[in-house]
Parts: sequence; structure tokens; C-alpha cells
Amino acid sequence: MSRKHLIASLSVAAMAMGLAACGASAPPKELVDARAAYARAEGGPAAKLVPAELHVARESLDVAEHAFHDSPDSSDTVDVSYVALRKAQRADALGRAAEADGQRAQADKEATRTQRAMLENAEGRLKKTDAELQRERDNLAKQKEMTEAERKARLEAEQKAKDAMDALAKQMAVAKDARGTVITLSGGVLFVTGEATLLPGAQAQLNQVADALKTQAEHHFVVEGHTDNQGTDKINDDLSQRRANSVRDYLVVHGVAAGAITATGYGSKRPVGDNRSAEGRAMNRRVEIVVQGG
Amino acid sequence: MIRLRFLCVATLLAACGGAPKPEARMASSEGAIRGAQEAGAANVPQATLHLRLAQEQRDQALGMVKNGDNHRADMLLARAEADAELAVALAREAAAKADAAKATESVEELQRKAGH
Repeated sequence: MSRKHLIASLSVAAMAMGLAACGASAPPKELVDARAAYARAEGGPAAKLVPAELHVARESLDVAEHAFHDSPDSSDTVDVSYVALRKAQRADALGRAAEADGQRAQADKEATRTQRAMLENAEGRLKKTDAELQRERDNLAKQKEMTEAERKARLEAEQKAKDAMDALAKQMAVAKDARGTVITLSGGVLFVTGEATLLPGAQAQLNQVADALKTQAEHHFVVEGHTDNQGTDKINDDLSQRRANSVRDYLVVHGVAAGAITATGYGSKRPVGDNRSAEGRAMNRRVEIVVQGG
Repeated sequence: MIRLRFLCVATLLAACGGAPKPEARMASSEGAIRGAQEAGAANVPQATLHLRLAQEQRDQALGMVKNGDNHRADMLLARAEADAELAVALAREAAAKADAAKATESVEELQRKAGH
């Protein structure tokens, strides 16, 4: 190498050194992009959610910066800058992925909470329905119990009524016909001839009748007065009505419901015996107490 | 003298382009590309772009290895690997965002139902 050449070479080297010292070598586009990408990642969710990945990107950027410092124009500097750019982009993407993971976890948690609330709500409604059902069941049972008690009471009342009538039948004439159960009391036992005033001896019989009628709570009673055919119809009709009234009044006084008993005088119109004989006429003079439907 | 000159040339060659074959980077870049494919990068446009860049750079690098330019090949393989890893991250981000959107939608649907 000639002296001239050496001087020229040295001048070039000095110029290059001077340029480097002044910072005249601009960083490659890859390094500029890598710095920007790293800044973006650092400002994003990566810093908090994936700090290790961000650290890897930082180290990669440092390598690029050193390479640029040491040999700004080498292709190696471009390559390590390219790698630093991708590492920064990767950290940023992983940060956003972690952020999305968090959002999904939050949504799942919220879904579980909502489902639990729905379940509790449904359970509450079920419990309420259960309670209502139980109340309804209790009511039904109570009603059934009541119905059963009523049925029992009615049966007992019916039995009592039947027993009372049976007992009465042993003491006096009791028969059944189309009108119902008919209790026949002899006029001779109840009244003085031609009068409607009750004899003292009648009271024992009527007391028994009153007791029996009191057990026939659901029935209506008709006291019918009858005479023989002696005397005028007018007298007989009047007498039979007054006698029926006397018996009805006595029974009401002795506990038979006034609304359940009426009195009718039939005079001699409904004989049961032959008026030509004394015995027949005695049979016709009577008071009948009809238990309607009994 | 001739023998000495040959030795000098051989030493010089080793110093310049004589870097060892980048076996490790060849394997790791291949693994990264496979990882990106498995992560579904082909279904996400941004990820697909980087997967393709990774494949192209790796192919180019393998050609350089054949020509003995091992140092350049190593650098190019590093770029390919970084692109493949970015593709994995982008695919993962897309999947996570889709999952989050789905979960949000389903919780909103649930809340609408609960409101009735």
C-alpha cells in the first residue's frame, strides 16, 4: 500500500468515526418500530397481567439497542431489532389475551351468581307453593274430619229419634201411613167429653210425646183433631180444632219448636171406626200427631 | 510457504463465514411454527400473516445453510421463530376474546331470563 493510499484510507476511517460520534447513523426502521411496540405493550394490560412476557420483550429490545450502539449499520442489528419488535407485539397480544381471560372469568362468575339467584328464587317459590299445598291439605283434612263428625252426629241423632219413637210405640199406638208416622191418642184419655181442656192424666202421655218429637228435629208435625159423628159438623169441627190446638200448645210449651208444629181439626170427616157402635165412636174420638216424612 | 498461505486462508474463512450449522435454531423454529399451526393460527388473519412470514424466512434460512451461510441463516431463523411465536400469541388472543364475548353474551341472556 502506497503512502498516498494509506492517507486516503485513514481519512475515510476518520470520517466514519466522526459520523458515528455525531449520531449520524439513523436507527433502522425495525428498531424504531420495536421501541414503539414495546411502549405500547408497556402501556397495555401486559404490564399488570403478563409481566414476565413484557420482561422478555424488554431484554430483547435491550439486545437490539446494544447492537445498534455497537454496529449501527450491520444486518445483525436489523435482525435483532426485528426479533425485539415481534417479542413486544407478542407481549402486547398475550396481555390482551389475559385481559379477555379475566373478562370471561368475570362473566362466568356472574353467570354462576345469577344461576344461583335464579335457583334460590325458584326454591323460594317452590317452598311457598309447598306451604300453600300443605295448608290446603290441612284444610281438606279438617273439612273431612268435620264432615265425618257431622255424619256421626247425624247418625246418632237419627238413632236417638228412632229409639225415642220405638219407646213411644211401646206406650201408645204408633203406626206408619202415607202421611208419615202417626201417633194416636185416645180422646177419652185426653179430654172431658165435649171439652178441649186437657185432663191431668193426659200430661204424662203428652210429656212422652213431646220428648219423642224433640228428637225428630228435621221433621214437621201436624196435630190432627178428630171426633165421632155425634152432634153437628160445626160443633165437631170446632171442637176438633180446639182440641188439636190444646195438644199443640202443650207440646210447644214442653219444648217442641213452635214453627215445626201446626194443628188442624177435621171434625168427624176422617173416622177410623164404625160410628154405629160405641166402640167405633170411641176410636174415632182421637188426636193424631203426624210426623211428616217420619 | 504455500502451506502457510493455505492455513491463513482457511483461518480467515472460518472467521468470516465459518459459523457452525445452526442446529438448535433450526429445531426450535420448526417447533414454534408447528405450535402456531396447532394453536389455530391459520384461522386468525393476523396470525396467519406471521405464520406465513415465519415459514418463508425459515425456508430462506434453510437455503442459506445449504450454501454454508450459517450466520445469516441463524439470524433469519431467529426472526422466523419470533414470527411463529407472535402467531401463537395472536391466535390465543383471538380465542380468548371470542370466549369472553360468548361468556358475556350468555350471562346477559341469563340475566334477561332472571329478570322475567
